[in-house]
Amino acid sequence: MDTKTLLAESKARFNHNAAKDYLAEKYQNKLVVAEQNGLWKADAETISLLNSLTKSKVVLIDTFSNPVKVDRKELLKTLRTVYNEVMEEWYEEWQELEGKR
Amino acid sequence: MTRGAILFAFNSEKFNYYNMAEQTAKRINHFLDLPVTLVTDQKSFKETSYSWDNVIKVVPDKDNFRDWGQWINKGRYQAFELTPYDETILLDVDYMVNSNKLLKTFETYNDFCCHNKTTFLMHPNAPQEALSSYSYDTLWATVVTFKKTKRSQQIFESLEMVQKNFEHYANIHSFISVSYRNDYALTLALRIANGHTILPGDFIPWNLVHVGKDTTVIKNNQDELNTEYTVLFDNWKRGKIRKEYMTIKDMDFHLINKDCIEGVFGE
Repeated sequence: MDTKTLLAESKARFNHNAAKDYLAEKYQNKLVVAEQNGLWKADAETISLLNSLTKSKVVLIDTFSNPVKVDRKELLKTLRTVYNEVMEEWYEEWQELEGKR
Repeated sequence: MTRGAILFAFNSEKFNYYNMAEQTAKRINHFLDLPVTLVTDQKSFKETSYSWDNVIKVVPDKDNFRDWGQWINKGRYQAFELTPYDETILLDVDYMVNSNKLLKTFETYNDFCCHNKTTFLMHPNAPQEALSSYSYDTLWATVVTFKKTKRSQQIFESLEMVQKNFEHYANIHSFISVSYRNDYALTLALRIANGHTILPGDFIPWNLVHVGKDTTVIKNNQDELNTEYTVLFDNWKRGKIRKEYMTIKDMDFHLINKDCIEGVFGE
């Protein structure tokens, strides 16, 4: 029995919330970046902080709660790239999901 | 610096772990581009067209049982001695590799890491498992990445000690010792090796995704390297089951619910 038939016969309903949670789990993980001897999350908070600072070398607390001195511009560039790539993928899969409503 | 994966597979009456290991190894080769060493026994091993990097045959300790039958899972501590690689991913054979995510563990760890947090598909608010109400949250031996360092050696030696004295540790930590679990042994071993402290760097910085009870996973096509699955869930409400589903793709997961093995591995 193929999956479509199985779903039809069992009268299964698409669980939109569970699918949304799955996407969050999948893509939040992809935002994790190891660089310059620290572990970072390419999220809005970290990118905003890096953007707002002015010095070329700054100390940030990484996700392991360790202070790490980093090259601000280099880290910002990496995190921005990862953020943009992951968000595009997330959005694309989210759009597919929306189509299943 | 060599990198690879190591799998342990000993067939039981109910499950053909060798076949699962072979399918998992193909996925590791494809998605992670790593060679795979198999630790098995003479009885489980069979010649197929698949070419392992190494096959190491051992005599397993078969003295372990679960509700569904014999469960040969002891001896995982030997991974440190048996691995031919400088850096190794030790994986359960019922972990479905559907992406290259595990490669990131090589970048994020010092010399040892495992999962300390889990998520259940279709059960977003499931609590974290603990050894008991009086003890630690469980760490997971499903995925362990390690380097051949002195500290890793100490962790695996502690794992051996806990396995060999499992009943004693069960008494101390108030959990049931009828079945030996590598997860519980690792939880204790890592703390022992770390001087009864926690080092955040020992944990993989994302959640281990489980397929748990009342949940079934079916592959969406018959490709050997399929990465799309339908997840079916029996949602119990007011004494009735409501069937729910979603689809997932390119996401690694671990089959805690052994009833799913047929839907995923075709066993």
